[in-house]
Amino acid sequence: MKHRLARMRAPLALLAGVAAWPALHAAGDALPAGGGPRVDAARLPAPGSYTLARIQRCPDGEVLLADGRAERLHALLQGRISLLSFMYTYCRDPVGCPLAYSVMIQTRDALLRDAALAGQVQLVSLSFDPTNDTPEQMAIYGRGQVDPRRARWLFLTTASVAKLMPLLNGLGQDVSIEVDARGRPTRTLNHLLKLFLIDARLSVREIYSVATLDAAMLLNDLRTLAIEQAGPSSGAAVSRRW
Amino acid sequence: MNRKPVLVAAIAAAFALVAGQSLADETCNSPYLAKLIKGQEDYLHVWTLGVDGVGDGRDKLVTIDVNPASKRYGKVVHKASVPGARGEAHHMGFTDDRRYLWAGGLDDSRIHVFDVGSNPAKPRLVKTMANFAKQTGYVGPHTFYALPGRMLVAGLSNTKDKGGVTGLATFNNAGQLIAKHDIPTGEVGGVKGDGYGYDIAINPGRNAMLTSSFTGQANYMRPLGELIKDGEAMKKFGNTMVLWDLKAMQPQQVFSVPGAPLEIRWSLKEGDNWAITATALTSKLWLVKPGGDGKWAAKEVGTIGDPAKIPLPVDISISADGRGLWVNTFMDGMTRYFDLSNPEAPKQTYAKQTGKQVNMISQSWDGKRVYISSSLLDKWDKGGADNEQFVRAFHWDGQELKLAFEVDFTKEKLGRAHHMKFSAKAAGKGYAQLAGQQLAQAPRP
Repeated sequence: MKHRLARMRAPLALLAGVAAWPALHAAGDALPAGGGPRVDAARLPAPGSYTLARIQRCPDGEVLLADGRAERLHALLQGRISLLSFMYTYCRDPVGCPLAYSVMIQTRDALLRDAALAGQVQLVSLSFDPTNDTPEQMAIYGRGQVDPRRARWLFLTTASVAKLMPLLNGLGQDVSIEVDARGRPTRTLNHLLKLFLIDARLSVREIYSVATLDAAMLLNDLRTLAIEQAGPSSGAAVSRRW
Repeated sequence: MNRKPVLVAAIAAAFALVAGQSLADETCNSPYLAKLIKGQEDYLHVWTLGVDGVGDGRDKLVTIDVNPASKRYGKVVHKASVPGARGEAHHMGFTDDRRYLWAGGLDDSRIHVFDVGSNPAKPRLVKTMANFAKQTGYVGPHTFYALPGRMLVAGLSNTKDKGGVTGLATFNNAGQLIAKHDIPTGEVGGVKGDGYGYDIAINPGRNAMLTSSFTGQANYMRPLGELIKDGEAMKKFGNTMVLWDLKAMQPQQVFSVPGAPLEIRWSLKEGDNWAITATALTSKLWLVKPGGDGKWAAKEVGTIGDPAKIPLPVDISISADGRGLWVNTFMDGMTRYFDLSNPEAPKQTYAKQTGKQVNMISQSWDGKRVYISSSLLDKWDKGGADNEQFVRAFHWDGQELKLAFEVDFTKEKLGRAHHMKFSAKAAGKGYAQLAGQQLAQAPRP
């Protein structure tokens, strides 16, 4: 089912702008200056040597895929380890969506070097702004990243703010809208940067903020969940692949 | 109030009392906390111990308007009392999104959750978690330290013997317990742990978490005059800090830090890699940092006042640039400033008596405003005329603390002023309020 928002026509200039950010950062380049995390990877524990607590159950709700089809979020997440990030396509905050996008690209690139792990993992970008980020917009935004032969990356939106709110609230994702001097909403969304690591059984196992958003830490955690999923006897084998 | 005066001289003679507490200001928040207030704070929230015969006698969250541009500047604008008997209101901490304040009771081990984000001028009690002790076996939820989507809580005691052996409990932001971790009592890294807890401080970039140690419920709920006469009880104070692997939540090293190390502050300066603490009983500053071999170590680097007079350092507040440290000492009511340009050798550069008893100290991000509260613990506060209960706000120009305003918590029938946290008016509109339609009508990106 294609939602009506999917049929909205956005100005070409806007579409070009949406496409610009991913294109600029598609190479998995360095993190933005001044806002990048500085996690000392040498001080991180080895994958599989620790347990990630089950923080909460991932909420469910209807989302729209980039091709306009409606699907339940749980149906898309179940059975894979997911790294989910809320974002909006026109975010320009260097320690906001662009930072998350950059780290996700680094993660994707690392996954491409390990087909076994890549087969268990997916990246998920879900828009904060369904009024602008239609499935078409999300398709443009994710162009170049969506390739089933590579690591799976879903670019999702929702049909309305009402459809989005249960997901935001359920995951504790804070967001507010800047207002102008007259109290009218602008297009700047203030949000706490969070990436959610969700296991194949739909439990949130880690939440990354600006302070901990680091590809090395993230990959360790993905490996840890993969080892856990494989069971105690196969843990070492999974670990050695990295 | 029907409290008996506690003589300062007697306390000093009895030596070492540890006093509690803090963890507070804008420079000392969890690194995961959103919306740091780097400009003017609007409100100061004070977790306040109830006192018999003073107002409603209940523990309460008191909100003071602290914006000089406001007509209500320096005035109490809201009180939110918690139901039931007093529980020894003590510390509190924001959730990572800064929407909710979790506030603990050291005696009843209840945790009260206040909604501050919806209207910072009028915080509202939305939940009370009464099962902390039953769920965890720990007693006295003390430090509330935000992690992404969850809250890490350090206990002070335990349900078995009310001593100081305790642990850390992690809750999700909905209040469900998801993990617990005992403070080590065995040998870790060549030093034996005592199992005691108090503060938490995290350095995410180093995957490092530090905890410190105080004393158990059997001590902190005893009248001070009685406690200090009990030699065995006075031995039961923490003498360790623990370095944890944050990701694994596993202790990596125990440090011997004699004399009850309390608040821990990491330097926030880019590139710095050290934390500092103050010991209540021995009146020393200790530095924790990696040595040349990369192994972490703790070492004494300074003295606070005259340790022989037992000044009892109870709270510290580090400047945002990591170059200065405020230290409050309870017994002499002094507020001291240390130059931390060389953290290996802190130098006291300023001192002022800011009250007859002082406990918490919280500074604004720019360091220009300093707030001080008076109460330590219900049964440890001084008596008679020395039992001042207040919040005092000062301007700091780098040379002198100048009083800006004072709220007399006894005169205002509030209670004993303890932990303080800042908030600011919301800068934007809640997402749900807009219901999408207004957002759709906003200017295109």
